Amino acid sequence: MRQLNRLSLWLRSVFHRRSVDGELDSELQFHLERQIAANIAAGVPPPEARRDALREFGGLEQLKEECRDARNINWLQDFAQDVRYALRVLRKPPAFTAIIVITLALGIGANTAIFSIVDSLLLRPLPAKDPGQLAVLAFRQGDGPLLTPFSIADYRDIRAQSSSVFSDMLGFQLSLDGISMKGRADRVLINYVTGNYFSVLGLKPYLGRLILPSEGQTPGADPVIVLSYAFWKNHFGADPSIIGKQILVNGHPAAVIGVAPRGFFGLDPAPGVEAFLPLAMLGTYGQGWPADFMTNRVLQNLLIFARRRSGVSLANAGAALDVVARRLSAQYPTTDKNLQLSVYSAQFARPDPSTARTFIAAAALFLALVALVLLLACANIANLLLVRASTRQREMAVRAALGAPHSRLIRQLLTESIVLALFGGLGGLFLGIWGARAIGSINLHTPVNVPLYLGFDWRVFVYAFGAALLTGILVGIIPALRVSRTRISIALHESGRSVASGKNRFRAVLVVLQVAGSLMLLVIAGLFTRSLSAVQHANLGFDPHNIVNFVMDPTEVGYNETQGLAFYNSLLERIRALPGVQSASLTSSLPMGNYGNNDYLKISGYQNPSGQGLPLVSYSVISPEYFRTMGISMLQGRSFSAADAKGSPGVAIVSEAFATRFWDHQNPIGQHFAKASGATNPVYEVIGVAHDARFSGLSGAIDPYFYLPVAQDYALSSLQALQIRSAAPPDAVMREGQSVIHSLAPDLPVFDVETMSESLETLAGFLIFQLGAGLAAALGLLGLILAVVGVYGVISYSVSQRTHEIGIRMALGAQRAEVLKMILGQGFVIVAAGLALGCLCAFAAARLIANMLVGVSTADPITYSAVVALLGLIGLAACYVPARRAMRVDPMVALRYE
Amino acid sequence: MGKPTDLVQGTLDLLIMRTIALEPMHGWGIAQRIQLVSKNALQVRQGALYPALHRLEQQGWIRAKWGDSDNNRHAKYYSLTGAGRKYLQKEQANWERLSSAIGLVLDGAEG
Repeated sequence: MRQLNRLSLWLRSVFHRRSVDGELDSELQFHLERQIAANIAAGVPPPEARRDALREFGGLEQLKEECRDARNINWLQDFAQDVRYALRVLRKPPAFTAIIVITLALGIGANTAIFSIVDSLLLRPLPAKDPGQLAVLAFRQGDGPLLTPFSIADYRDIRAQSSSVFSDMLGFQLSLDGISMKGRADRVLINYVTGNYFSVLGLKPYLGRLILPSEGQTPGADPVIVLSYAFWKNHFGADPSIIGKQILVNGHPAAVIGVAPRGFFGLDPAPGVEAFLPLAMLGTYGQGWPADFMTNRVLQNLLIFARRRSGVSLANAGAALDVVARRLSAQYPTTDKNLQLSVYSAQFARPDPSTARTFIAAAALFLALVALVLLLACANIANLLLVRASTRQREMAVRAALGAPHSRLIRQLLTESIVLALFGGLGGLFLGIWGARAIGSINLHTPVNVPLYLGFDWRVFVYAFGAALLTGILVGIIPALRVSRTRISIALHESGRSVASGKNRFRAVLVVLQVAGSLMLLVIAGLFTRSLSAVQHANLGFDPHNIVNFVMDPTEVGYNETQGLAFYNSLLERIRALPGVQSASLTSSLPMGNYGNNDYLKISGYQNPSGQGLPLVSYSVISPEYFRTMGISMLQGRSFSAADAKGSPGVAIVSEAFATRFWDHQNPIGQHFAKASGATNPVYEVIGVAHDARFSGLSGAIDPYFYLPVAQDYALSSLQALQIRSAAPPDAVMREGQSVIHSLAPDLPVFDVETMSESLETLAGFLIFQLGAGLAAALGLLGLILAVVGVYGVISYSVSQRTHEIGIRMALGAQRAEVLKMILGQGFVIVAAGLALGCLCAFAAARLIANMLVGVSTADPITYSAVVALLGLIGLAACYVPARRAMRVDPMVALRYE
Repeated sequence: MGKPTDLVQGTLDLLIMRTIALEPMHGWGIAQRIQLVSKNALQVRQGALYPALHRLEQQGWIRAKWGDSDNNRHAKYYSLTGAGRKYLQKEQANWERLSSAIGLVLDGAEG
């Protein structure tokens, strides 16, 4: 209550200044009158009585000022005055202000852009109630890798046995499926979720109802679907009558029961999920699932999130899970041997616990780089402000002489730089949002849209505003301290030249730091670029040129296996008849792509090392001509043929790495292996060995891989990429290919139509290197420009300061070449010092990013020498222009100057 | 500002609040009353009185209200707020403890 009164009183003093001042006047006037009256009453004659009373009052204005001070409003008036004055000062040389604001806007904009991307991927809280309580589970078997997909059976056991620490646990599984209504099929990312998914997250439906905990228990029992808000809006025109209608999921009916809340796209930061189905419906809608998919412990596809009970720490939860893991290991030795469970805060384990550290490191790296750009911009601006400060020395000296305390002068100069910075920050915010959108709209080559939520988030505003404020203080504090420290008598009596020498040294140091900083940025950009070129020229084991891909899945329009195989056969036949086509084939998995199969294998003649689970190996389901299309040669044995059809013995081709790893020193041809997860698990006989090809990962050892014929194993992947190797231009091949597909199956959605080289630009492939190189190069360029401006500014300022001195030297007989040498030499020292410092810093910084580089050393001599040469030349060029100006100085003019 | 001024200021606040504790008064009246009660020993200067009044008002210990004075002039009357009354009690108790302590020391030194 008292605080509220104080506030309203203060606000009144601030906003009703005139009436408050009037009251103060009449209050004091009243006192004065009473005093005069008292004096008269004491026998003093009236004129004297008045004079005495006034004298007793002291300075009336000063008293009023003290009363205002007592009301705590003077600082505000000073501040308003400073801001007004700052705006007036900044208007005077508009170009000067514009340069500073633009530089700042670029610096802050780049920061805002990077930050808003980091924010949307890593910082934004999960779209759930009490997101801080959510945890994500992962496991490891023996010394194996950290994995997040669990089997449904394990999920059920873990959930039942850990209820002391988790109030509940949800699971979901990603899947790409065809959803169609009225004949038109769309391919969407679906989450098959446990029934408690929405209730654990605490979500309320936008429309209708969400999946219930009772649903998703019995296979095939609940044919219902929940749509995401965006999918409902984009595909069903936000029609509320959709609730209760039937749509087709991969050709099987499902009833729409509701729409998920707006802005909810599942738990992954990207990509966005468009529909939700009960987990137990997997076997109905999906294909190739064995009947026991709910209890099979080898099928591991379920991601688990848990809600911690309040007061339960991650460590407590982890301890409870250790007990569960030991119990499961003992209970199911074949599948859960040496199981270790671990738990992570969902907020800090994005995109998943095994890669979160790399993601956070990359985010931190780019935030640091972009902060460095802002620092370079700050150095430039501090330099410019220093120049201006020296021209304003007289003004400051006059103010100081008139009684302004130093603190007041510093405050005024800081207000000026902060006002400048806030203008820059405003520009930067807009630039940043635009930049983030530009980065967000890069084609990520993922099968579905990746929504980067780049909406207005308060964190971004706070970040941009904070950056601007800090910048304002950073660039303003040194000029302000310098100016306010100026000795009044010197500044008033002499021109600025005499006190400028110390300042030049400081400015030179700033430029050294700028050169060093921009060298660091350029070296990092160079290393990323060299990495990119290394991976692009690496031998991937296949020839990606002249191939066009088309991805499709006949299951999405309800084809069964017989129909699907017939479709694919006639498709290949028709494609091969096209002019220019050298070969055409099918594959279920593209290198660096987003689709793939893997399975645990039981391999004849291979002894599983103790303490390890069965080996997990990836594979492709392909058509006979695959190796010819991809340019992968056979090492041994034969390729698939038309004879390897349904009903004939199961066959497989393994990679070189597969043969070496599992059948070292033995002939792999004729060996056998079987998958561990399938319903029937047919045994495959190895008929050939192919050269290794990289399907994932651009560096390091190539993992074992194998191939199965689509004619025998269509059920494992009806999704196939048609690959055409053709001499014809890719555009023509894409057009003709699509028209052939549509003539055979008019409603079949075809996606990811692109050349094989383009399809390598995925996040798993080249894209991450391209993004890294592009982003680092953009930042490096920005840093370079700032450094050039800085070098040029300092040298040309120093030339203008030394015009007088140069004139004297030339009058005394110095040659022009000597003057040029002197000025260039001065610049050279600054640039060279910057380059040396920069190399040291860059070397240290490069070691931090070592694990993001491929095929290039952190001390790559080519990168370093190229960057040093480039920066050195540009730096010297920036010195040369003012040096030439110095050379042309006319001694007479220079001597008369001032 | 040095220590002695602070002491005087704090003391002045106490005197002002004690004076208006009985009835609302204007600035002139407060100065006169303090002078009268202290038998002319304490003279409050306007230069100190008004800033103190405005500060106390801003701090929420006292409130001001315009009213008519005895000779029908418009004057600003100050009175204690509820919070101010409690604050005064506390400060007065503090002051009494302090002055009696100082008195004890001074007496002891004499004896």
